Amino acid sequence: MMSRIRRRIPFGPWFILFFLSAGTVATLVSMRPQAESLRKSGVDALRAANGQAQLVASVPLAPENGEMCEWMPASMSPSAMILAQTRAAQTAEREAKSEVADRAPVRTIKDTYPTYSAIAVDLNTNEVYMQDENLFGYRVFNRMDNTPANAAMTEPKRIVQGLDTGMEFNCGLYVDPKTGDVYSVNNDTQDSMVIFPREAKGNVKPKRKLHTPHGTYGIAVDEEDIELYMTVEHQNSVVVYNKFAEGEDKPLREIKGVKTELADPHGIAIDKKNNLLFITNHGSRVTEDVIGSGRFSPPSITVYPLKSKGDVAPIRIIHGDKTQLNWPAALAVDEERGEIYVANDAGDSMLVFKTTDSGDAAPTRVVKGPRTQIKAPTGVFFDAKNKEVWLSNMGNHRATVFSITADGNAAPARVIRSAPADKMAMAIGNPGAVGYDTKREEILIPN
Amino acid sequence: MAKENATPTRLIFGQNSKLSRTMHDIRYDEVNDELWVGQPFAGAILVFRGGANGEEAPIRVIQGPKTQLEGPDRLEVDAVNNEIYVPEYGNAILVYSRTANGDVPPLRKIQGKMTQLKSVRSLSVDTIRNLLVAGTQARGPKGEQYGVLLTYDRKAQGDAAPLRVIEGDKTEIVRITQTAIYEPKGWILAAQAGTHEALHPDDGFLGVWHINDNGNVAPRWKLRGPSSTLIKPRGIALIPKHKEIVVSDMAQNAVMSYYFPEVF
Repeated sequence: MMSRIRRRIPFGPWFILFFLSAGTVATLVSMRPQAESLRKSGVDALRAANGQAQLVASVPLAPENGEMCEWMPASMSPSAMILAQTRAAQTAEREAKSEVADRAPVRTIKDTYPTYSAIAVDLNTNEVYMQDENLFGYRVFNRMDNTPANAAMTEPKRIVQGLDTGMEFNCGLYVDPKTGDVYSVNNDTQDSMVIFPREAKGNVKPKRKLHTPHGTYGIAVDEEDIELYMTVEHQNSVVVYNKFAEGEDKPLREIKGVKTELADPHGIAIDKKNNLLFITNHGSRVTEDVIGSGRFSPPSITVYPLKSKGDVAPIRIIHGDKTQLNWPAALAVDEERGEIYVANDAGDSMLVFKTTDSGDAAPTRVVKGPRTQIKAPTGVFFDAKNKEVWLSNMGNHRATVFSITADGNAAPARVIRSAPADKMAMAIGNPGAVGYDTKREEILIPN
Repeated sequence: MAKENATPTRLIFGQNSKLSRTMHDIRYDEVNDELWVGQPFAGAILVFRGGANGEEAPIRVIQGPKTQLEGPDRLEVDAVNNEIYVPEYGNAILVYSRTANGDVPPLRKIQGKMTQLKSVRSLSVDTIRNLLVAGTQARGPKGEQYGVLLTYDRKAQGDAAPLRVIEGDKTEIVRITQTAIYEPKGWILAAQAGTHEALHPDDGFLGVWHINDNGNVAPRWKLRGPSSTLIKPRGIALIPKHKEIVVSDMAQNAVMSYYFPEVF
């Protein structure tokens, strides 16, 4: 019959064994000559059974400093037992304060270099802006900077970074072609877009801040109509604001709904020549407020009339195996050539489509291969003035710039690198959880 | 033993994996050598083989109308009882067979006023004591943030009341984002990311409670402070073999390992 139930065991049997083992070792170290003698006699004694009790080893027991077990009859009903345990726990509610364990980590896994999620060029100042999603800021370089292959990195002209900036997991980036204002879009952790003046430097507060829906990613601006577009991953939508919106200003309109085929939208680009809006989609979708509606669709580029509003169907969709789309991120439109440049994240490539493409269309050109230095590209900028296309590569701490006609395994015209050439990015992005693979002894990080 | 600027040993990514670039949980089932990930953007739960690498497809996908999944962000795997537990809708826990695949209904659901579930985020199972612990990040009617730890019978279903509730000012819980249980000793470890809007909250910590704790109970240990470098701890995993706990920190975009023999 069970007479006692151990309600709380401060030191489990396994832990006791640990302490015993440690105590024995300590004794042997401090009394080495005696210990050796004891060990020998002990071994000898064990080898010679004499039919009587023998002292093999003596170790003092650890003091019993746990709480006394509370007696509970074995016949107690489960519910009464739970109640009793609950009361006991409440009674034993500790008055003692928590023990604060402020100890240094034995290891830290962190990428100390910037990783570039987006890119933009200020053609008035010939400066390149690179959005750093790892260290939460952006860095500014000269457009013609070119990191030598044997150099560790290129130093930026200025850095905007720090708590006052309000940037965190910043992804979308836009530089006003007239004023040089810098628009930085936060993603999953801060529901905001922050705007800085061209000359901003260091840990500075933004000149404006807009409260955005949760999960904004891409940004595009219609300068003629003074409208600012953003994709919203978490609600499969596009929100359109006045370009100068701030604070709690509301969107002018929204593209959202089942007909839109928006599915985890990322990149966004405007074609003013043809009044079109292009969106890249990763392909995951849940219909809002409809339980069990989750589905996967192929990655795509959906095309809409520019002033679309509400639950509108795309006028065209580029999707299918021939497209090579694989987590397509930012995209940019070359109105003159009628081409779309796509940063094809998981494909380690830049894909070029015609603005008139539809369905399972093969790209006109694919820039991909070891000479390109393209690795997990998520940002793209089309420079109409200098006929260049820039990619920010999340996978290797660098930006690569190509001629607009580049094709295949083409070397970039220039590279701006912010880490040694052999340092691949760690690829950690908003580690909301962590796991451990006991078989392979690997730490698992979802991003 | 990865350290600063190490290259990952493997990456699972890309269209074929059905992952998105926004994942908030991962669990490893060492009995069946499987990886589990919630995919909230597709209302799906993905299961990969343990050694999955590159653009590898999941071996099972739970998704569809019968599943009642909406946006499964986090989960817990119970290899002893062959079940998985999924927090959903903020106020419910869905339980599926571990081997579920496709459009399958949950085995049972914990939901209702008595459950006290509100903004439930993370779940951990104690297979020794047959308990299920839920960590929440609820908000009060005036926007105040306070999380709680709720302990249920593992087999609870319907409008079941928790057996124990750890809540109150002594707990210092604002919002819990991931939990873990060290079953041999009954320790609950909860990553407490601190005030939501703050970039660098001053109330984030890794807290340790006992599975029998109930009421307004201070954590036994709080891992925090300048030496720890922790700012916004969001994830927690255990490495009993090395007596280490692993904590992911959102504000630093980093993962730290701590020697913490007290817990093991």
